[in-house]
Formats: sequence, structure tokens, C-alpha cells
Amino acid sequence: MYETSDFRNGLKIELDGDPYTIVYFQFVKPGKGTAFTRTKLKSILSGSVIERTFRSGETVGEADVEEQPMQFLYANGDIYTFMNTETFDQVELQAKLLGDDAKFLMENLEVSVLFYKGRAVNMTLPNFIETKVVWTEPAVKGNTSQGVLKLAKLECGAEIHVPIFVSEGELLKVDTREGGSYVSRLNK
Amino acid sequence: MLTPIDALRLRQRATILHAVRSALHEGGFLEVQPPTLVNGPALEETLEPVRADGRYLHTSPEFALKRVLAAGLPRIYSIVPCFRDEEWGRHHAREFTMLELYFANAGYLDLIPVVEDLVGAAARAVGAAVPTFQRRTVAELFGGDIPGDDDTFFLHWVDRIEPRLTEPTFVLDYPARHAALAEVRGSVSERLEVYLGGLELGNGFSELRDPVELRARFLRSAAHRVALGKVPHPIDEGVIDASAHMPRAAGIAIGVDRLVMALTGEPDIARVQISR
Repeated sequence: MYETSDFRNGLKIELDGDPYTIVYFQFVKPGKGTAFTRTKLKSILSGSVIERTFRSGETVGEADVEEQPMQFLYANGDIYTFMNTETFDQVELQAKLLGDDAKFLMENLEVSVLFYKGRAVNMTLPNFIETKVVWTEPAVKGNTSQGVLKLAKLECGAEIHVPIFVSEGELLKVDTREGGSYVSRLNK
Repeated sequence: MLTPIDALRLRQRATILHAVRSALHEGGFLEVQPPTLVNGPALEETLEPVRADGRYLHTSPEFALKRVLAAGLPRIYSIVPCFRDEEWGRHHAREFTMLELYFANAGYLDLIPVVEDLVGAAARAVGAAVPTFQRRTVAELFGGDIPGDDDTFFLHWVDRIEPRLTEPTFVLDYPARHAALAEVRGSVSERLEVYLGGLELGNGFSELRDPVELRARFLRSAAHRVALGKVPHPIDEGVIDASAHMPRAAGIAIGVDRLVMALTGEPDIARVQISR
């Protein structure tokens, strides 16, 4: 059981029989009233986000989930296959469960696959990945401004905005959260 | 985790404090300094005080300022750190700064132009838009159907009403049982709260001046806390005595940190303070 004071982003709880991940929480207390915790919860099974307000001290169950590091192998149509590199067990996930995160999947990328009651139901990307630029407008040499951005297509399949000094073929560090964003160039 | 010092926010905070003090000075308010270490916290049954060496750090300077009011200073304010335990998050800090002011021969509605003046002066000082406040009664916000029990009242408030209070608003006329230290008129208390930028900024009253009723409220609050398994707050004889000698007065407490947040668009209270 978790109390509202245990709430943090990423905590997995069970609510009305379904597993959710806490994606936002805020302590709220009217000046003359009792305390509450306002939350946004992402359904682990459907990916949809709901809002829920808890009274302080209210308890919720822990979601019966387990995470396993696995490698992405390949996609076949809407089916994405991942493998445990120690046991060689393979699991499949539907594209609709992965949503936007699918565009960051590259062969051999290490992700965390989420099992609910023993069944693979979702996966979490690493916060940062390394991937090459396969297409972008020609670089503007010498302009080191981080404020001016252009579109770049990445090897993993995603498109993100990058500073204008970035060239095709360069290896980038990319933050996969909130749709993906440029972090830095990697000199390799 | 230590929040980095935000130099811009500290500059804006200083500018706002200066503008507020100037406006209060212009309005004839005298700054007084209440004690921080007190024998009993304010009469707030849902607030947890911080204990210090067998006494309390004040949760607000209310009792001390009322004694000053009763002693014959008719327009007073203080801007001081206050302490409330078990409160944390982006809108709450255990230690925060409160602007509290009182003036004689006034009721709670007289607080509105005073607050509008102060907030307007602070807004102009930091180049923010001067807010235009709307007025809503609690009954209007609940659609005429105010829940009878506190638990439902506050859950409904936090879940459905407060998230929609995004416009600058004075919320008026709380149910009599939520009067705290306000005068009661029929079924409502002469109490208001001010919202700015979606934040609850302050709470004001037509101040209760009946020592018998005040003692009864202390006893009710203590009984309620005992029923919840909490330590009751001690009865403060000083404020009961002061209430009998106070002129008719209005008073309001405004969170300075939240005022800075609302006027600068800063979502995190830690960034308008110097964190521990």
C-alpha cells in the first residue's frame, strides 16, 4: 500500500482494478481546509491519462507490475518484438500501446519492458539515446546559437528540432521524453 | 534537494516587497514586528505548527497584531516569516513570508480596494499587468448547492472549483461553520479569499470581537482536533482579551511568496525563496 505522502512521478499504483503510473502530483491545501494530493495518472494498459484528487493519508494499492531490461529486436507491421538478453525470452507489444515512443526504437536499444500480472503490457525508453542525423538542411557553420532550430530526421525514425550548426551524419544525444529533444552532439 | 538561487526572482521579490511597503506607508499603515516564538499557534484546526523548545513558531502573526490593534494603533501590518508543518510542494513551503494587515472601522468588503491597491502597485513595479478582480460568492461557485460536510466541501473545492479560479477573484461569504475568526451574519461568515494566477493568495475577515464566542470557537476547534487524534492548540487568553477591546476592524493575511509567483508567472515557490 502507498500513502499519498509516498506519491512521486513514475510510481505505479492500482486504482479501481487497473494499473496506473503517476505522471504528475501536487500537494494542495486550502488555507482553512484539509490537505489533498491532485494527480494525473497514466493508464499502463491503455496509455490514456486521467485526473484524480486524493485526500491526504488516503492509501492506494501497488500495481502488480515488474520491469525487465530487454533489447528491441525488430518491428513487423504493428508488432514490436523485444528480447531478454539473459534468458532469450521474447515478448511482443502492439504499436498502439507504444504510441509515439515507437519512433525512438532502434535495433538493440535497451528498454525497460513492463509486465502486469506476468503479461508484457508496455515499455519505457531510456531517457537519453544516441542516434545519427540522416537528413537535415545544410549546417550554418560558425553559428553556435542554440536558439535557432531546424528539423532533422534521425536514424531511429524520429524527427526533432536541432540547432542550425548540426550536419547530416553527426551522432546526437537525444532526450526521448516529451516527444524528443536535442541535447548535444557526440564527437566520435 | 537544494533549489538553485534564482537571481531574477530575488530581484523581482525585492521590487515587489518595496512597492508593497511603499503603498502601505502611503495608506497610513504602520509596520509592527510580532514575536515569532509564541505560546500558542493561531486558531487554525487544520494547521500543524512547528514546535520549538516547548513553544511554537507562529503560523501567522494574527494574535499579536490583534493585541496591537486593541492597544490603539488603528492601521498596522507586518511582513514576517511564518511556519506551517506538513506542508510542502510547488505552492507550499514549511517556512514562508506573510503580509498581514489590520485596519479599524472597517468590514471585510473594505479589504477589497486595499488589496487591489497593493497588488496593483506590486504588479506595476515588476511590469506585470494590473489585475482586474471579479467577485464571486461561495454559493455561486458551488452552483447554489454547498455541501453540508467539510470533507465533501473541500474535496469538491480542490477537485472542481479551485482549478477553474484562474481569473483574479475575490471569493466571498464562506459558510458560517468555516468562519475561523470572522464575524458571522446569518448562514455566512464575513470572510473572503483572494485568488490571483490560480493561487490562493490570502484570507481576510470582518474580525470577530465577541470574547465569549471566540472562547467557544477555541473550545470547538480543540474538541475537533482531539477527535482527529491531534494535539489541541492552547487557548490564547491574550487574543480573547484583545477581542473585547478591539475596534470594529478588517484584517487579511497574504502570502508574499505566492504574490511574487502570481506576478512573475513562477510556478515553483522554491524559486522565489532562498532554499535551505
